[in-house]
Amino acid sequence: MLKINNLHVNIENKEVLKGVNLEIPHNEVHSLFGPNGSGKSVLISTIMGYPEYEITGGEILFNGQNINQLSIDERVKLGIGVSEQRPPTIKGVKLRNLIELLMPGEIQDETFRKGMLERFNMDKFLDRNINDGLSGGETKKSELFLLMLARPEFLILDEPDSGVDPEHLKKIGAMINETLQKKIQGNELCNPYGRNSGLIATHSAVILEYVHTDKAHIMLDGKIHCSGNPAVMMDQIKSNGYSYCINCHQNI
Amino acid sequence: MSDFLNKDNNIGKINIDYSEFSQIENETKAINSISELKEDEIETLHSVGINFQDYSDTGKFLMYGVDVFSLTPKIPGVEIIPLKAALLIYPEIKEKYYFKAVNKDQDEFTKTAFEKEQNGYFIHVKKNVKVKDPLHTALFMHREMSTMCIHNIVVLEEGAQLHLITGCASGCTIQGGLHIAVSELFVGKGAKLISTMIHNWGPDFVVQPRTATIVEKSGTFVSNYYSVKPPKVIQTNPFTHLKGKNSNAKYMTVIASLPDTYNDIGGTVLMEGENSGAELVARAVNHGGTVIQNGLLIGAAKNARAHVDCSGLMLSDRGYIEAIPGLRAVHPDARMSHEAAIGKIDIGEVNYLQSKGLDEMQAIALIVRGFLDIGIEVEGLEPELEKTIQEIAELSGHGEE
Repeated sequence: MLKINNLHVNIENKEVLKGVNLEIPHNEVHSLFGPNGSGKSVLISTIMGYPEYEITGGEILFNGQNINQLSIDERVKLGIGVSEQRPPTIKGVKLRNLIELLMPGEIQDETFRKGMLERFNMDKFLDRNINDGLSGGETKKSELFLLMLARPEFLILDEPDSGVDPEHLKKIGAMINETLQKKIQGNELCNPYGRNSGLIATHSAVILEYVHTDKAHIMLDGKIHCSGNPAVMMDQIKSNGYSYCINCHQNI
Repeated sequence: MSDFLNKDNNIGKINIDYSEFSQIENETKAINSISELKEDEIETLHSVGINFQDYSDTGKFLMYGVDVFSLTPKIPGVEIIPLKAALLIYPEIKEKYYFKAVNKDQDEFTKTAFEKEQNGYFIHVKKNVKVKDPLHTALFMHREMSTMCIHNIVVLEEGAQLHLITGCASGCTIQGGLHIAVSELFVGKGAKLISTMIHNWGPDFVVQPRTATIVEKSGTFVSNYYSVKPPKVIQTNPFTHLKGKNSNAKYMTVIASLPDTYNDIGGTVLMEGENSGAELVARAVNHGGTVIQNGLLIGAAKNARAHVDCSGLMLSDRGYIEAIPGLRAVHPDARMSHEAAIGKIDIGEVNYLQSKGLDEMQAIALIVRGFLDIGIEVEGLEPELEKTIQEIAELSGHGEE
């Protein structure tokens, strides 16, 4: 579904991604580990098409199509969705305004209200400025809620567990799992083949206690250093830290 | 360099040859009633918040060029009549209100209005009468390069309440004209006046409003000003005199400036009443013209409280925004503060909204809409104002020209 070949990216003429290779097939969710500053967020922003990230080499293929030149919203229309680590607060722009633009008429719909807004307790955030004054957990919830509305085929979650207390973590995990299902309502909830694909970037890996991922990759200094079983890699990182990876020169 | 350091504060000023405009006329008969307004004229009036097709008891006033039409609401104690008629019916208006808030010798425009005023509205709300629905008044210019010179007087007696919407517009094919308007507003003891003014002008218009308001004890004056489509030049600095104890004034100004336009829109409040309060909030979105946000609050009484907030969004590399939030304390117990910020749209915010599925235009329009959302009091006219804000925001979403 997503294939990245030898991706090089510059920010202000400085190379920050140095030849990333990554493939995530249909129905698979991968985790992306790496210490702070390793390039995880840069990779995510580049997949999304943020203009300040300049691709100097390589390609990003989504369902076989090269998306290097597409705008952010064109990528979203193809089915890519993102939950950001630190989304901005936008003065005067209410969550309600954004939902009205994304789903005209839905916000007045009773089924929508009961089904989505009330179930995820998002009613209270509707008339607040987007992301304004939210706790870490609330920010993640709001991001996931917007993803659930868009129902993308491919989800990118940037540090969905950072700044979230343990009580909220379980709820966040449940929301991610629901968003990963192809359909929110109906029998497909139980169908393992009805799963969307995704990439979850996390440096603490605690979210993986609630969300199953099929494969893990470790990113170090702008490159994917190694890939493997998420549980095994998570254990290694937990017991030995990322220094273990730096010393281990296994490449994919 | 000299352009940026102009000591005379003439930045972006546009010289106007006033002889280009026709002489002030007093007699025409372009239409015989409001029902003769054409489709496109009705639509233009809608764009400035005016709906004459509403057959409710709401009062109406239309000045169509020189012709005047008015309908007093079916509410006891409320009157809307053309000023010329009012001066004949109520001679005391001359003594009590006529050029009593605005100084007729203030400048060439007030002098012209005094000498040649065509008409205007006189609105009177009697003691303790609270008008629930807004009154709709419109000043409409339908002839190319004509001059409109009007004088309005609004009087709210003790405890009265009124929400007045004034739409000023030109016909959609009309390019230019001169609009001179003197408005004098009197807010009695404990009364509340909300005055919402929306402008939509042709590209070569020159607009020179002169407004002054006097607020008595515990009275409240709220002024909302929106410019949907700016004229070539507008210069106005409405003055409010908070005369009474516990009186309040609030100015909310929202303008979108187009290339080659000069928008000098200020506000001055003199707080002479003990414990009086004033707030000025101005927002400007610049697409290449000149915007001067000139706010001055004068604290001249014990416990006078004031705050000025001027913010501008630069959406073009042409033009200027100059924010001048002024405070003048002439009493030791006045408490005053100000803030001003000018910047461009944060690209991170645009990217974020695009990542949620909006295209770039929609994202910019939504951010501008948020920027312009300054909590204007909109009881009774929400749909119109909402549409106006949306129009200004969408203008931003579609680039500078």
